[in-house]
Amino acid sequence: MEALTSLLAGFETALTPINLLWALIGVTLGTLVGVLPGIGPALTVALLLPVTAKLPPVSAFIMFAGIYYGGMFGGSTTSILLNTPGESASIITALEGNKMARKGRAAAALATAAIGSFIAGTIGTLLLTFAAPAIADIAVQITPSAKFALIMLAFVTISATFGGSPLRGLLSLFVGLGIGLVGTDLQSGQARFSLGRPELLDGIDFITVVIGLFAIGETLYVASRLRKGKSDVIKLQGGATMSKADWRRSWGPWLRGTALGFPFGAIPAGGAEIPTFLSYTLEKRLSKHPEEFGHGAIEGVAGPEAANNASAAGVLVPLLTLGLPTSATAAILLAAFQQYGLQPGPLLFITNGELVWGLIASLYIGNVMLLALNLPLAPVWARLLLIPRPFLYAAILVFSTVGVYSLNNSVFDLGLLALFGVIGYGMRRFDFPVTPAIIGVVLGPTAEAQFRTALQQSNGDFSIFVTQPLTAFLMLCVLAALFVPQLLKFRARRAS
Amino acid sequence: MTQPPPTSPTRPGISVPDLLVALTLTALGIALFIGSREIPFGINAVVGPRVFPLIVSVGLTVLGVLLTVSVLRGARAEPAAEEDTDLTVPVNLAAPGIILGGFLLGAAVLTTAGFVIGTAIMYCSVAWAFGERRIGLIAGVALAVALVTYVAFTRGLGLSLPPGILKGLL
Repeated sequence: MEALTSLLAGFETALTPINLLWALIGVTLGTLVGVLPGIGPALTVALLLPVTAKLPPVSAFIMFAGIYYGGMFGGSTTSILLNTPGESASIITALEGNKMARKGRAAAALATAAIGSFIAGTIGTLLLTFAAPAIADIAVQITPSAKFALIMLAFVTISATFGGSPLRGLLSLFVGLGIGLVGTDLQSGQARFSLGRPELLDGIDFITVVIGLFAIGETLYVASRLRKGKSDVIKLQGGATMSKADWRRSWGPWLRGTALGFPFGAIPAGGAEIPTFLSYTLEKRLSKHPEEFGHGAIEGVAGPEAANNASAAGVLVPLLTLGLPTSATAAILLAAFQQYGLQPGPLLFITNGELVWGLIASLYIGNVMLLALNLPLAPVWARLLLIPRPFLYAAILVFSTVGVYSLNNSVFDLGLLALFGVIGYGMRRFDFPVTPAIIGVVLGPTAEAQFRTALQQSNGDFSIFVTQPLTAFLMLCVLAALFVPQLLKFRARRAS
Repeated sequence: MTQPPPTSPTRPGISVPDLLVALTLTALGIALFIGSREIPFGINAVVGPRVFPLIVSVGLTVLGVLLTVSVLRGARAEPAAEEDTDLTVPVNLAAPGIILGGFLLGAAVLTTAGFVIGTAIMYCSVAWAFGERRIGLIAGVALAVALVTYVAFTRGLGLSLPPGILKGLL
């Protein structure tokens, strides 16, 4: 009940005309960057951070939340009409949705994706509304050593458990942690790894790292292996609509996809790929038309899209209650909170209730706006896919330059940007996931702070990490997350 | 960073670029380790500023060695599939080279020639590297994008960007 009162107060904040406007800007921008290749919600929030420093935090976060949800809606349009998933969670949508579109059912595929995203997003936000304050109540009592263990768990699940190669994921994480170490140590005032450069004493701004790894790295990589010829975009007449029969076949997958997606997002497991794959397999098994799967079954779009969006809502639970980001976009949102001097975590609900509840309320509003933006306006978004790539990628590079340069008005930062761009290129070429590096940069300093606080409380006794009950349990989970998948893989290989 | 031609179709052998990446990561770990040992202990602290860097550097080194071993045993990385890429076409390293060169040139002249000129140079190099050959069109769009960005960010958002040689005009 308490959550409901807070939520109503949140709506009062979010429904002011100016904040509605920011929400609208956010969802429009989010859909735009979700549709466009080469730029996504994570990059967009990072680019906007320097210019939003003067906004009140509530308005900025309402806009960021719109970008976050909007990116999901826009991403499905691209994967259905272009058959090239921008993110791994859209692989299934690309698979089944594009087959539908090729059979002339693009409108129905877009409609079931958009309505499914709306339903999953709304139910997910509802679950967030009630789960978050309850978890925050418990989380207040967590000791620094357990917080450190929790961060370790997020590190391992994000980089090793669910990725393609645990070794490459962990390497990416450690490079991120290393980047996060550069600069003056806040507790002792000692300079670390600053190589004698005064520009590095303040550390490397994570915005430079994010924009370098994502925007510049992507531009360099795409240029080296550019698809020749025109991209094969499916034409769309009229808005996204679907028939009664489509509705009958979609609502079950929507709900089941939501049920799979939300918990996977909420536990620090990272990534929406697993629930989308699970949802696809489940719908294939339950369907009365299993033969349609692989040839454009609407259930195969409805379920995974709902799972994808529900997990996006789930990701906000650990982010807001524990300060634990489990995706690249969530990591940047965390950094955005820190830029405003706010630390997400259980206390945020007490100290900045207006902000948190305004943000949660705006998620409901944003979802409604996104549905209205995406159903009738689908053909407009589809047009964006036709933008000539030379001009698109060139513009992304110019915006990246503005974003980084305006941080400190320093050309040195642009040099760093180029360096991280080359690293981003290498990561794509050599199959290193980018998300663990981003999480390492953003969360590394927090991990170190909790580590040192825990050891200060125990007077330097390292056994605190195995004797404090919750910490020990979480550390066991870390070991399990690291080694159980390897054991399973090893056994599967021996069995075959 | 190109794929070496396969020495024989049956046995892929060791991939040299993969090996270089693995060795670079290992070297980075060792460099971090040496750097960590130069950080002073810090005073009045149970855990000083060098403990965590030491852990990170040792972790990076060990992981780098593990990757080196797996590459020596024949592992090689698959290039990522992205929205606008085609993995079947031959790798064109000139294109990212042009972009990087244009970017560094633009950054170098950003404060002297000004933000508009600097970012226009960057814009042109990317558009050219992505296969656009209508030079007049590229230059026109580049200047327009750079100008609009400059005006929007300085007038609209109140950021200060260097006007450079266009100082009197802007």
